[in-house]
Amino acid sequence: MTKLSTTDLLCRFSGLVAVNKVSFAMDEGEILGIIGPNGAGKTTFINLVSGIIMPTAGRIEYKGRDITYLPAHERARMGIARTYQLIHPLENLSLVENVMVGAIFAQGQGLKTARRTAEELCEELGLSDVDRDTARLSILETKKMEIARALANDPEVLFLDEVMAGLNADETHDLIATIRRIAVERRLAVGVVEHVMGVIRELTHRVIVLEAGELIAEGPYDEVSRNPRVIEAYLGGAA
Amino acid sequence: MNRNIARAVAAVVAAVAVALPAFAGAYPLQVARNVMMYMALAITWDMLLRSGQISFGIAGLFGLGAYAAILGVVRGGMPVWLSIPFAAVVAAAAAFLLGFLILRLRAMYFSIVTLALAEMFRIVIHNLHDFTGGPEGIVMPAGVIFGGNAAALYWLTLAGLAVALAASWWFEKSRIRFALTAIGNNEISASSSGVNIFRWLLVAFTVTSGIQGLLGGIYVQSYGFATPDGVFSADFTLLPLAMALLGGMHGTVGPVLGAVLLGLVSEWLKLKIPYGHLIVYGIIIIIVILFMPAGILGLARKMSRGAEGGKS
Amino acid sequence: MAAKQNGNKGKHMALKRRTAILAALAAAATVLILLWKPTVINNGLQQAGLYAAIAIPMGLVLGIVHIVNLAHGEFMMVAAYATYFACKALGMDPLFAVLPAAAVTALLGWVVFRLTIQRALKAPELNQLILTFGIAIALTQVVNILFTSQTYKIPLEYVSASIDIGENTFPVWSYVFVATAILYAVGLRLFLTRTTAGKAAVAVGQNPRGAAIVGIDVNRSYGLVFALALALVGAMGALFLTKSAIFPQVGSPYTMKSFCLVAMAGIGNIPGILGASVLLGLSEQLLRAFRETRAWADIVFFVLIIAVILGRSVSWRRKK
Repeated sequence: MTKLSTTDLLCRFSGLVAVNKVSFAMDEGEILGIIGPNGAGKTTFINLVSGIIMPTAGRIEYKGRDITYLPAHERARMGIARTYQLIHPLENLSLVENVMVGAIFAQGQGLKTARRTAEELCEELGLSDVDRDTARLSILETKKMEIARALANDPEVLFLDEVMAGLNADETHDLIATIRRIAVERRLAVGVVEHVMGVIRELTHRVIVLEAGELIAEGPYDEVSRNPRVIEAYLGGAA
Repeated sequence: MNRNIARAVAAVVAAVAVALPAFAGAYPLQVARNVMMYMALAITWDMLLRSGQISFGIAGLFGLGAYAAILGVVRGGMPVWLSIPFAAVVAAAAAFLLGFLILRLRAMYFSIVTLALAEMFRIVIHNLHDFTGGPEGIVMPAGVIFGGNAAALYWLTLAGLAVALAASWWFEKSRIRFALTAIGNNEISASSSGVNIFRWLLVAFTVTSGIQGLLGGIYVQSYGFATPDGVFSADFTLLPLAMALLGGMHGTVGPVLGAVLLGLVSEWLKLKIPYGHLIVYGIIIIIVILFMPAGILGLARKMSRGAEGGKS
Repeated sequence: MAAKQNGNKGKHMALKRRTAILAALAAAATVLILLWKPTVINNGLQQAGLYAAIAIPMGLVLGIVHIVNLAHGEFMMVAAYATYFACKALGMDPLFAVLPAAAVTALLGWVVFRLTIQRALKAPELNQLILTFGIAIALTQVVNILFTSQTYKIPLEYVSASIDIGENTFPVWSYVFVATAILYAVGLRLFLTRTTAGKAAVAVGQNPRGAAIVGIDVNRSYGLVFALALALVGAMGALFLTKSAIFPQVGSPYTMKSFCLVAMAGIGNIPGILGASVLLGLSEQLLRAFRETRAWADIVFFVLIIAVILGRSVSWRRKK
């Protein structure tokens, strides 16, 4: 079943086309990789579907409903969640309180219920000692907290923007397993932006490739990675 | 710190505050009233600050409330007791409506527009001569509320402070705390967690402005007259701001602490240098921002952390 | 890289467009009022010159150091006081004090920058705002303690110079402000595009980290720009004294109005400040021309800034 789709999505910033007529669809239970060279428009694409920026033209649908110009907080309430590349834990709030925010505002829970939700999420992700100050978290724990914060929205669609950056090999495997598990348990549609192709190969069912804002290929990773256009895009980007 | 000790201390302080008129003369009561009023303003300023918005408009809403109260009685024939909550409603309504414009602004734009707000209200009151009494001001025909009884006036101001404290406590204990903290930290990620940023800023701005208006109403009824230059004085912005900064921002305790310290110092300075005693506030603001941005409270926390941990 | 350049180009074009709109509005208003009330034009342009000459240095600081100096008008006030007492002591005309006042204020500004603002550059923007607010209070109160709230004025004959055309008498002295504003705008443009120090300052303003990497002393550039801006404001302090009475709070409305003008023009757009000033000056003088509306002239800038906000209707998101 299609959860989220875009049709001819276009985003222009003062003359520059950041996302150019991208059409795609994401199904329930699917882990989708979003890849492409630097500056291809991957983060802009996530910003568009999560409502952080508004598109110039095109259409975004979530569970059959037009959400193209809906503000971000309403999309969060409907079940679209995301993480950010640069993680800013909320100062003056403990680990569990950081996670509570989504439960309170996206799910509309009272403080007590939200705390229980957040504690359960922390446990699910293997975060202990939940009343800790966020300054004392390790990198892996910070990433997990960021995912827990997104899951606190009780999403059906989740975007992960470079959550693996800065992790070593063991931690990366730990996080890949975690993401797999929650995606299955919660029947999530997950969109993953990642630079490390090993992670994409291991984690995703399917990928879409963006280059200069355009969708140039889609399909299973092994197939796409042999696509000459994709190879050229990456080599061109590297040269 | 131990929560029970903190509660006991708070209870004792509250009991002493309520009973103060029993054993204090007119002058100490007058000083206490000033300190409490600025303390309440400092708390409301800090409440909005928790969302990352710095308002320079305290004097504007305070003065607006003051004029609402006095005009409600003089022009509207309102009973004096009713004029005080009326002041709060007028200020809150003004903030609510203006909020639709100015809460779309951020950082310096928001701050400067709030600064201009005070000036704008002053000019409006100044110019609506026939209705407001113009630059010469307006006097309550019945004089000061409670016939000027020092104890009653003290309790009235204490009640105003209690409202500010209760609101601040509510902001800290409810979902508002999460909303404002999330907005203050990063608006984009807050919106991704479902926080309706504009709505919560509007709540915070309306509530804090309403309390500032309430205090203006209490102030004006305690003195029995208002002039535009008097109730819109920059002091009502400057002093609370300096107090909250000195004590420590983002909480109730800091502004309270700062208000007690600076309030007493300023009463003393007023006697020593009647002209220009405000320089102390300017200097305190500069020093605090440069050397102890978290205020006395932050400094104390740092020291106790250093003593307990030693290494980090 | 390409994205960034394109972005800058787009921003530049947007600023240009805004300048053009402001200029067109100002021109249209001018022509209309000229036919109807010629004195309003005369007074309005002179008022605009005064506003622009004070706002341009603030725009410079905001554009390059990225600091709103809430003590901006207060520095002008201090310069005016210094000029007053120097002129009284030496019996000279304030016009001879323009350059010394600029030098003294620049020095004061440099010291204040080094001692306070420079230390707060890495702090959150809001701390800087509160800091300069504190500096503004301190300056006002120092003057208040030293000279009380009494007003001071130097009576000068040439200030009332005027030209009679038909039935109307047009005072002309304040065109000195217009000349100053134009001089500032042109001079700054030359400084920023033609001199090494100016180019370095622009580079620092656009990308402090990058500028530091290529070997520019960022703090020195900031300090220089700040001091230069205060020199310009200091010179205005001396000129201001020729026309107006001074008292400790005389500078503070100019801080707000300057910010309003800079915001209207868009940060980094100095010519735009001229257009915005004409708009503000003319509107104020238009209201002043009628007895019923005279008292409301001071509120115009607030209405204008709200209009600008509505015109953009996009929230300024906090950059983090």
